[in-house]
Amino acid sequence: MPASDPQPLWFKDAVIYQLHVKTFADSNGDGIGDFKGLSSKLDYLADLGVTCLWLLPMYPSPFRDDGYDIADYYSIHPSYGTLDEFREFLDAAHARRLRVVTELVLNHTSDQHAWFKEARSSRDNPRRDWYVWSDTDDRYRNVRIIFVDIERSNWAWDPESKAYYWHRFFSHQPDLNYDNPAVREEMWNVMHFWLGLGVDGFRVDAVPYLIERENTSCEGLPETHAVIKFLRSQLDAHFPDRMLLAEPNQPPELVRSYFGEGDEFHMAFHFPLMTRMFMAVRLEDRKPLIEVIERTPEIPESCQWGIFLRNHDELTLEMVTDVERAYMIDEYARDPASRIHLGIRRRLAPLLDGDRRRIELMNAMLMSMPGSPIIYYGDEIGMGDNIYLGDRNGVRTPMQWNGGWNAGFSTTDPERLAQPLISNPLFGYQAVNVESQKRADHSLLNWMRKLIAVRQTSQVFSRGQTTLLKPANHRVLAYLRTLGKEQVLCVCNLSSSAQAVELDLESLAGALPIEMFGRSLFPRIGELPYMLTLGPYAFFWFKLRRF
Amino acid sequence: MAQDSVLSDELLHHLMAVGHVDVLVGVPTLNNAGTIRPVVKAVHQAFARYFPRDRSVLINSDGGSDDGTPSLVRNASADDTETVTVSHSLRTVHRISTPYHGVPGKGNALRQIMTAADLIQARAVAVLNADVTGITPEGVAALIRPVRDQQFDYVAPVYQRHPLEGPLVTQLVRPLMRAAYGWQVRDPVAPEFGCSHRFVSHCLEQDVWDTELGRVGIDLWVTAEALAKGFRCCQTGLNPHPATPTRTPFGELFAQVVDSAFACLERHAPYWLGRNGAEPMPLVSPPPTVAVEPPVVNGTRLTEAFALDVENLRSVLQDILSAETLASLEALAEKQPARLRYPDPLWASTVYQFLLAYRGGVMRREHIVQALAPLYLGRTGSFLRQYATSPEPLVDEALENLCREFERSKPDLVQRWNRV
Amino acid sequence: MAQMIANAIRQAGTNFVESLSVFLPRMVTTLAIIIVGWLIAMLLRTMVRAVAGWLRINVAAERFGVTPLLKTADLPPADVLLGAIVFWLVWLGFLLSGIDVLGFTSLQGLLASFWAFVPRLLLAVVILIIGFVVANFAWRATLLAAVNGRVPSPRLLSGAVRWLILILTGAMALEQIAVARTVVLTAFAIAFGALSLAVAIAFGIGGGGIAKRILEHQFPEQPRSSADEISHL
Repeated sequence: MPASDPQPLWFKDAVIYQLHVKTFADSNGDGIGDFKGLSSKLDYLADLGVTCLWLLPMYPSPFRDDGYDIADYYSIHPSYGTLDEFREFLDAAHARRLRVVTELVLNHTSDQHAWFKEARSSRDNPRRDWYVWSDTDDRYRNVRIIFVDIERSNWAWDPESKAYYWHRFFSHQPDLNYDNPAVREEMWNVMHFWLGLGVDGFRVDAVPYLIERENTSCEGLPETHAVIKFLRSQLDAHFPDRMLLAEPNQPPELVRSYFGEGDEFHMAFHFPLMTRMFMAVRLEDRKPLIEVIERTPEIPESCQWGIFLRNHDELTLEMVTDVERAYMIDEYARDPASRIHLGIRRRLAPLLDGDRRRIELMNAMLMSMPGSPIIYYGDEIGMGDNIYLGDRNGVRTPMQWNGGWNAGFSTTDPERLAQPLISNPLFGYQAVNVESQKRADHSLLNWMRKLIAVRQTSQVFSRGQTTLLKPANHRVLAYLRTLGKEQVLCVCNLSSSAQAVELDLESLAGALPIEMFGRSLFPRIGELPYMLTLGPYAFFWFKLRRF
Repeated sequence: MAQDSVLSDELLHHLMAVGHVDVLVGVPTLNNAGTIRPVVKAVHQAFARYFPRDRSVLINSDGGSDDGTPSLVRNASADDTETVTVSHSLRTVHRISTPYHGVPGKGNALRQIMTAADLIQARAVAVLNADVTGITPEGVAALIRPVRDQQFDYVAPVYQRHPLEGPLVTQLVRPLMRAAYGWQVRDPVAPEFGCSHRFVSHCLEQDVWDTELGRVGIDLWVTAEALAKGFRCCQTGLNPHPATPTRTPFGELFAQVVDSAFACLERHAPYWLGRNGAEPMPLVSPPPTVAVEPPVVNGTRLTEAFALDVENLRSVLQDILSAETLASLEALAEKQPARLRYPDPLWASTVYQFLLAYRGGVMRREHIVQALAPLYLGRTGSFLRQYATSPEPLVDEALENLCREFERSKPDLVQRWNRV
Repeated sequence: MAQMIANAIRQAGTNFVESLSVFLPRMVTTLAIIIVGWLIAMLLRTMVRAVAGWLRINVAAERFGVTPLLKTADLPPADVLLGAIVFWLVWLGFLLSGIDVLGFTSLQGLLASFWAFVPRLLLAVVILIIGFVVANFAWRATLLAAVNGRVPSPRLLSGAVRWLILILTGAMALEQIAVARTVVLTAFAIAFGALSLAVAIAFGIGGGGIAKRILEHQFPEQPRSSADEISHL
């Protein structure tokens, strides 16, 4: 973004598009997506209406965790291209007013990283202390294991240096030791490097786990926050208009701490909101959503929630009660193959049974709730998934551009593709692809474009206050977004059957609701309860005007 | 439609907001401020613990309480002492308290509850008694589960009680209903039950609601109707029903119960006339085993007046009973009260002859029922005297024999019924 | 003289024949009316008995306790009795009409009086019937209430109630047919008043205790009887 256009709070109005370079577009026919291919699709993304791209890890990596196991922080994975190609991509994105956020994996590296290779070579190596070592595996007892389906312990034995090393994730991802100032300095250097190239921000992976202390959960410790504050202070000093996005999968009250007093992360994901949106639509009852919104604490004015429906990981069910988890599994993951760790590895469209109305409703809620919405690549056309692929790869399949050769993703042999295409008649690339949907006026893609466009007409969605209305009909979710004098009333029918609802809008008496998609006029609000009827899964956004 | 007057605008408004439900619990009330809160709490805990995924609603049908019962229901906190993290409801829990029209009585309350259940397509309905404490969340669930999970249409409760308690049931209603309807229902007059939507729809179509039977005998009628019309019925164990003294004086209570029982038998004659024997009714869960104290009763006092009553009522009894039966009663009356033993065959015959007189209309029906009351007291007194100190199994056996006696005498009843 | 006697005899004979010629047709008419009336009365009796049978009057009479009373009084069953009443009323009417045709001046007003009397007679009969039914109902209701309510001497009480109502009914019926009106009215008033006074005195002086018990019985603070001490349901 040109330096003459500094907008420190640009992320508050952003519509973010999360994508994986590896599976977006392949320009050189090797079956793996790359930056040249991604650059060729920037027009599509700009046309969709998103304003920021978030890229999954693009660094050199042995790819045992889809790139989250980084082997070199200062380079681009050769399969994705070169550093120059990355620079070209950045410039092209900025030219289309698209900001770019990349991954920053702070917590751990790959065991193939040069630092770790040095650290394990001997106990006296200068980099030894860059990782967390122990002679026994009973330190930091009772700390939960994150990848419960794969790992049995947070300690792994290194035969080379005859010691245990700490890893909160896979055993091939040793944790960095942030008690070592050298580590902090180096990670700032890493950040500085990319920010200097023009990257607009970082999505910081695995933030809560930076520091360990005995007799704690080793998550979100004060020392961890101190590290974050340090990095943020450096960022503010050198690149004040860049953004840090945190990924703590915790209840909103605990996530609050990662904003600090506006001196830690600019943004953080709101995981529980996502889970409860799925729950509410299935239950056909707004109760879970009301509860989570009411529990969401106030955050500093300069901060923003990141809200989403799906992402590259499993739909996590870590932060729900046992009753809720059991319900979600029974309703959304009947096939045991779709379950992994404590979540469900499915995309948006299959989760919602391909029901267009529900997909629209969920996206409408995403675009109108407080926070910056994040769209996962492919969900804008309703892509399907493959639960029979290992790990979370089922939701990271190649983007479906058209109904032809390899869905237009790559010219290589289909057998050479890094990930197989989705090819079933329901969600496969022949049925679901960008090219077809561009040509159909009423496709999901065009509907999403329209939705984003309407959202972007007003900052009330991104920056406004939220007031929950609680009409007697529990199947209807209604809330008011207010920013200064601007007000938008959002009404959503969570039920599969038509509903009537009476809203108490006495405080808004005199306002004229104008439906924002069709610009139709609705009856003026009076002192009596305002009656609305909604079709199955329908929603309204009303701009309230006064004359 | 008759249903229109049952459904006030206010109730309709609530039902529209609630929408379709899976589980509906109805609680009729009339001045139950002392006992209603634990009932509401038990219901909500049942919803949260046993039916967290179900769409549920509690409907309190109130007959015009002036002790604040409705506001206690509305203001009861759903999460009263419930810890949220362990077992809270996934869904919005609805609670409606609404008055019903017409004369205060269980019949009108139940009609309103059933109408609401029908409209919102409640899959399983439970009706609770707000007069007593002691209902637990497990009890509520026990009434609902057989309907919801096992597709029963009607669930009758079985209370763990001492067999000497509730003689009006054990001496009269139970053996009579068992012999007639051919099902071994333990407590046909129980004020609590569970039922299906199918059964609710059926009941609403019957012409009982504006009758005397509908007003004071609805509990008995519901049981009888379920048996007579071929619905899938079962029994389930509930916590002991505390024997709190009823507010209704004996005479009125007796008249209500017996008149209702006789009226039911008259209504359902085409069904039971052709039925033989008595099948055990499936018990889906036994009652919680709690040690029950035998009631402190004085059978002697009940028998003391027997001789005098028989003598005084002779001129009435001779129009109801056969000469032979009357002579047997008079012979009994000659005995000392302490030695009075009203034998099972005579008692069964007495009851059946009264039933026949009721059917034949030899005099006003309320007079027939009133005339039976002293004989019932004599029978009850003699039974209590005989078994006051007996162990429970012995008493149970005696009651079982009584039921069998009623069954044995049934063919004679059937024969004479057709001649009336 | 002989001629005069003969003329007188002849005139008397002529007069007699003339009177006879006037009377005989009337006699015949009267007989015809009586016979036809008898036939019609018989027919109506049969019809009434048939209608009474169809209306199940006997069952109702049984139910309201009228049949035993009829048996006690050696009267036939209700439907037969009704038929008989109708027969006699109708035939008596025809009889009086027939007699009226004969033209006996002393009997002239008899028919008119009869037809004026019949409605009152019917009303009196209706009052009696209602009275019997009410008396019987009240007797039984009182007896049962007293027995179940543990009121002492239930038979005495219920019998007293029945006889009071019967007496009242009888007085009303007699008053209706205006038989010794003043005597009946006065006698009834005296008897009723005396009875009430006697009962009041008996209660007030001799039966204070019973009265107290009966009142406590009506407005109990504790279970009114042993029956209320146990839980029957």
